[in-house]
Amino acid sequence: MRDAALEREPQNTSTGATGTAVSVASRRGLTLRQRESLTAYLSILPAFLLVGVLVWRPVAGAVYHGFTDWNGATSTWIGLKNYARILHSPEFFTALRTNAIFALAIPGILLVCIVVSVLLFEETPGWRFFRSVYYIPTILSAAVVGMLMRILFSTQGAVNTMLNAAGLSWLTHAWLSSVPTAFVVLVFVFYWQTLGQGVLIFLAGLSAIPGDLLEAALLDGASWRQRLTQIIIPLLVPTIAYFVIFNLIWAFVGLFAIVFTVTGGGPGYATTSVDLLIYRKAFESGQLGYASALSVLLFLIVLVISALQLRLFDRLTTD
Amino acid sequence: MRRGFHPIVQLLIVVVLSWFAAVALYPIVFMALTAFKTSVAYIQNPIGPPDGFGYVENFQAMVLRFDVPRLFANTIWYIVLASIISLTVSIPASFAFAKLRFPFRQTLRLAMIATLIVPAITLLVPVYVMMANWGIVDSYLSVVLLWAALAVPNNVFLLGALMRSIPNEVLDAAQIDGASYLERLLRIAIPLSLPGIVTVTIFNVTTWWNDLLIPLVFLQTDERKTITVAAATILGRFGLDTPLLLTGLLFASLPPIILYILLQRTIRRGLVIGAIK
Repeated sequence: MRDAALEREPQNTSTGATGTAVSVASRRGLTLRQRESLTAYLSILPAFLLVGVLVWRPVAGAVYHGFTDWNGATSTWIGLKNYARILHSPEFFTALRTNAIFALAIPGILLVCIVVSVLLFEETPGWRFFRSVYYIPTILSAAVVGMLMRILFSTQGAVNTMLNAAGLSWLTHAWLSSVPTAFVVLVFVFYWQTLGQGVLIFLAGLSAIPGDLLEAALLDGASWRQRLTQIIIPLLVPTIAYFVIFNLIWAFVGLFAIVFTVTGGGPGYATTSVDLLIYRKAFESGQLGYASALSVLLFLIVLVISALQLRLFDRLTTD
Repeated sequence: MRRGFHPIVQLLIVVVLSWFAAVALYPIVFMALTAFKTSVAYIQNPIGPPDGFGYVENFQAMVLRFDVPRLFANTIWYIVLASIISLTVSIPASFAFAKLRFPFRQTLRLAMIATLIVPAITLLVPVYVMMANWGIVDSYLSVVLLWAALAVPNNVFLLGALMRSIPNEVLDAAQIDGASYLERLLRIAIPLSLPGIVTVTIFNVTTWWNDLLIPLVFLQTDERKTITVAAATILGRFGLDTPLLLTGLLFASLPPIILYILLQRTIRRGLVIGAIK
């Protein structure tokens, strides 16, 4: 280690890690700036190799193979035929409907999270306890939660048994074997796992609101509702935006584990999400080109959402 | 904020919040209690409490039929390897982006961070074919490499931001004392950003522990599966023995719950970072 240090050229003391370029020729004939660049490139190379080989190249592969008929070994160029088939078959739009239902369910859980957080923030006794309890479902894996919920909502399961015991037999259903109720269960699972996340970030957002602002409003005789709608909610906007966008992206790319375990995409194809459709096309029917085209479409959707997100955050931070 | 609620309103609020807490906890309590039931007892009354906690056959079956110790060992081993790989490549990259000047620095950093939005499902098919050609499908290597690679953009994003806040004076002083670049990285940058490294590691570990898609696609042999995939596939074969199935799910849920109880504060901080920035 010492040798390495001695090997260095004497350096201008202002030349730190971020130092300005001082053209001192080193023993290897490189300027200091060139040495710094070399060090930097060597430092980032492994990360770029890993991401390049395992992320970028496959994404390019998906884009390319979206235009081919591909079975893994041979692929033939078929132009836009995969895309034409996707847009002419109902399965893609049925899948998109599942994602859209989750996306449209976001405002509901957003409202619940805000109300619960504000109530907890009002110095409710034991708020720490509640926050911890609400968070427990969030840390479980979606796959395990999905399996658990499938058992709870099965025909002879706990939910129907409880409804019967409460004299609400007319509310019992074969929850997972018909369409509207299967979505009810899926959205319930989504809400169940998201409450903790929402409460956590909204409590953090609330505690970032300056206390004297609220005190001043209180002194001016503002009612609870006025403080909520005129101070608290406007100041929570960035947190709300984060929550909505995080869950919006999740609604398009994160449903696999829940849908796979709770309904398996059924009854029929009714609750299949786009990512589950891609999985089935690729790994169950071996239509790799078609699945690639689907995954490119999904990526485009996510790109659009992300672009909206960037513009939104720009506006929120410049205002 | 504070003051001014009628006691009855206060009580009502606590009742509502408690109701939410009950809904949040019930499925977990149900899972834990049913693990002590026979399947006959479960069919007779799915929601009743077990007749005591002496019936442990479900737990024995976890070891004998479901091979929980091996599944745990698999999962932990894959996660440790993926953590080592992804941190080993992410830390030097983050430090270089934070503290070195070089051509295309901003472009390269943006390219790395933009990779954050690529959904795993988009690259899955080509990666599968590539790994099949490499002969590592159904080997832990496929899952470990893909996990590690997918974590790198987020690691670089968070650690880079953190390392930028290390004071240049400290690094300069070390350099004057003769510390090489590598020494500055190992002795100053890493210790100073340890909280961030812990945070991203907890984030990655929970993501990987809970991941279904990638190990489901790449690992077909039962003995090589992770606990989460095993819960979603092998357990399904137990079919009608619901208490046995729930015991398996309980085992798969315990490590995250224990980890959460032990590391609550750190986990919360990690999750809140992105939200209020």
